Amino acid sequence: MSTVDPPTWTGKLRERLVAALPPEKLLPDRQPSYMASWIYVFGVLTLGSLVLIIGSGTILALKGPGWWHVTGIGHFFNSVHLWAVELFFFFMVIHLWGKYWMAAWRGGRARVWMTGVVTFLVAIPCALTGYVSQQNFDAQWISTQAKDAMNSMGIGSFFNLMNFGQMYSYHVFLLPLAVVGLVTAHVLLVRRHGIVPPFRLDAVGPVKPSGDQPGAGDQPEPT
Amino acid sequence: MSRRETRRIEDESYRTWDGGYRRYDILKEATIALGVVTALVLVLTILFSTPDLAPSTVKSWSRSDPLDFVATSATELDHSSFSGSYGQPYNTGTGAVQHVWFIHLQQWLGISTPINSAQDFVLTPLRSLTQQPAVQQAVSTYEAASTSTRSGWTSAYEKALTKATVTTPGGVSVKPGNYGPVPEMMGALLTFAQSGGLDGALLASKQFYQTDYTKPLLFMADGGVLANRATTQNLTGSQWGMMNETGSFPGQVWLWLYTFWYQIKPFSTSSNVDALAMAIMIVLSTALVLIPFIPGLRDIPRRIPIYKLIWRDHYRTQSTNDV
Amino acid sequence: MVGAIFNLNHPAHMVHWHFIDLSVSNVIVIVLMLVVFAVAILAPFPRHGEGER
Repeated sequence: MSTVDPPTWTGKLRERLVAALPPEKLLPDRQPSYMASWIYVFGVLTLGSLVLIIGSGTILALKGPGWWHVTGIGHFFNSVHLWAVELFFFFMVIHLWGKYWMAAWRGGRARVWMTGVVTFLVAIPCALTGYVSQQNFDAQWISTQAKDAMNSMGIGSFFNLMNFGQMYSYHVFLLPLAVVGLVTAHVLLVRRHGIVPPFRLDAVGPVKPSGDQPGAGDQPEPT
Repeated sequence: MSRRETRRIEDESYRTWDGGYRRYDILKEATIALGVVTALVLVLTILFSTPDLAPSTVKSWSRSDPLDFVATSATELDHSSFSGSYGQPYNTGTGAVQHVWFIHLQQWLGISTPINSAQDFVLTPLRSLTQQPAVQQAVSTYEAASTSTRSGWTSAYEKALTKATVTTPGGVSVKPGNYGPVPEMMGALLTFAQSGGLDGALLASKQFYQTDYTKPLLFMADGGVLANRATTQNLTGSQWGMMNETGSFPGQVWLWLYTFWYQIKPFSTSSNVDALAMAIMIVLSTALVLIPFIPGLRDIPRRIPIYKLIWRDHYRTQSTNDV
Repeated sequence: MVGAIFNLNHPAHMVHWHFIDLSVSNVIVIVLMLVVFAVAILAPFPRHGEGER
C-alpha cells in the first residue's frame, strides 16, 4: 500500500511561486501586440538608471565618503552617481505620467500602481540622505534647512539630518534596500499581471474567456 | 445593471489579454536600456561634472565675519538664538515648535538631541581653555551671577554689537558699557574659533570618534554664514531653493510641489509652515498611492483620451480587422 | 571640479514669473520632460513580428 508524504512548506511555497510566476511569465519572449509606443520604454530606462546609481554608489562606498573630494576619479564616480539620480527621477516621472494616462491600475493591477508610487516616495528621502551625506556646503545647507521640516512632524526626534553617521547609514544601506525591495515587488507584480490592455472603445460587455497567453490558467486575484 | 456592476465587469475584462502577441526579448531590451542610460550619464558627466562647494567651518566663519560670529555667540549665551530657543527635539524652548490643528507631534516626541546653546556653544568650549586663567575667571563670574544680571549683560552687549566695529586682526570692538565679563568671554571664544579649535571642541564633546555634526551645524546656522552663501547660490526658501543645486546645475525638480506651499499664503506667513507643508504632502502622496480607488481621479484618463494616442496603432488594427 | 567641458559652477540664472522662481537649468529639465513625454506618445513605433498568437 503506497503512502503520500504530507506537503512540505518548501514544496507548498514553490508551487505557489511557480503558479504565480511560471518561467514564461518571468522571462517572456512575447509581448501583447498593443505595446507599440515609445512610452513603454520608460520603466526599463528607470531600472537602468537605478542599476547605475547602485553601481556608482557601490564604488563610492568602497572608497568611503571623503574620496570624491580629493581625487579626480572619485569626483568622476560622484558625477556618474548624481547624473544617474537625475535621470532616474526624469525617467520615473515620465513613466508615472504614462501609466496614469493609461490607467494602468485596471484589471486587478492596483498593487502595481501602488508599489510604483511608493517607490517614488521612498526614493525621495533616499536622495535627501544622499544630499546631506555629501560633506560639502550643499550638505550643510540642506541639513540645517530640512531639519525644520523633519522636526515639525516629530521625525527629527529619531532622524537627525545633521548626524552624518546616521544619514550615511540610511543612504548606503537602509533606504536603497527599501527601494530595491519595492522595485522588485513592482516588477514581479508587472510580470504576474501582465501589461494593462488598452481601454475598450466599444460598450462594456460580458467578460471574454482568457486566451492562450503564458500562465493564463491562474485565477484572477481580488484587487 | 448598476453602474458599479458595469464598472466591475469592464475592469474584469482588462485582467487578461486574449489578442495577438509579437516577438519580444526582455533581456535584450534591458541591456539596450542600460546601455542608453550609461551613455547618457557618461555624456552628462563629461560635459558638466558635478559641483562641490567646500563646507564652511566655524574657523572660516569667525575669520570672514567676526562681528556676525560674536553677535551669534552672544545670542547663544542668553538662549535667544534660533537653536537656543528652538524647542523639541533640542530643548524646552518654544521658538520653532510647530503643529497642525490639534496634532503636536514635535512637542509630543520630546527632546532627543539635547542642546543647551549657552553650555554647548559658549561655556563648555571656554572651560576647555584651562591654560587661560583670565578666561576661566570671566566664565566663573558669569556663572555666579543671577539670571537677571546675566540677561542685563547680554542684552546690553547685543545692543552695542549693532554699532560695533571690526578691528584688525579680526576682532570686534564695542562702546564701553555694562556688559560684565561677556566681552572677555566673546573675545576668547572668537580667538578660539579663529584658531580652528572650536570646530574640534564642538565635535569631540563626549567621545573620540564622531560622526554627528549637529552642534557645529546648528551654531553656524544660527549665524549668517550659511544663509549668505545660500542666497548667492539661490538656495533659500523664497528662491524655491529646495529645488536647486549649487551653481547652475539642475537640482531636485521633483520637489516642486513640496516647495510650492512655502511660496503662497497663508502658508508662507504661518509659523507652522513646515508642518502644514508636510501634512499637505502626506495627504497628497497618500492620494497618489490610492488613485485606483478614488472616483473621479481614476476616471480622468478615460475622459481625457491621451490613451487614444498611445494605442492608436492597436485601435487602427482593430478597426481594420473588424472591417 | 574635474574635467568638465562646460563650467556650471556659477550662480544660476533664474526665471521669475509672478511668485514662481526657477533656475534656468530646472526649467530646461521640466520642459525636456514634457517634450520627451509628448515625443514618446506621438513618435511612430517600429512594428515587426505582428499577428502571432
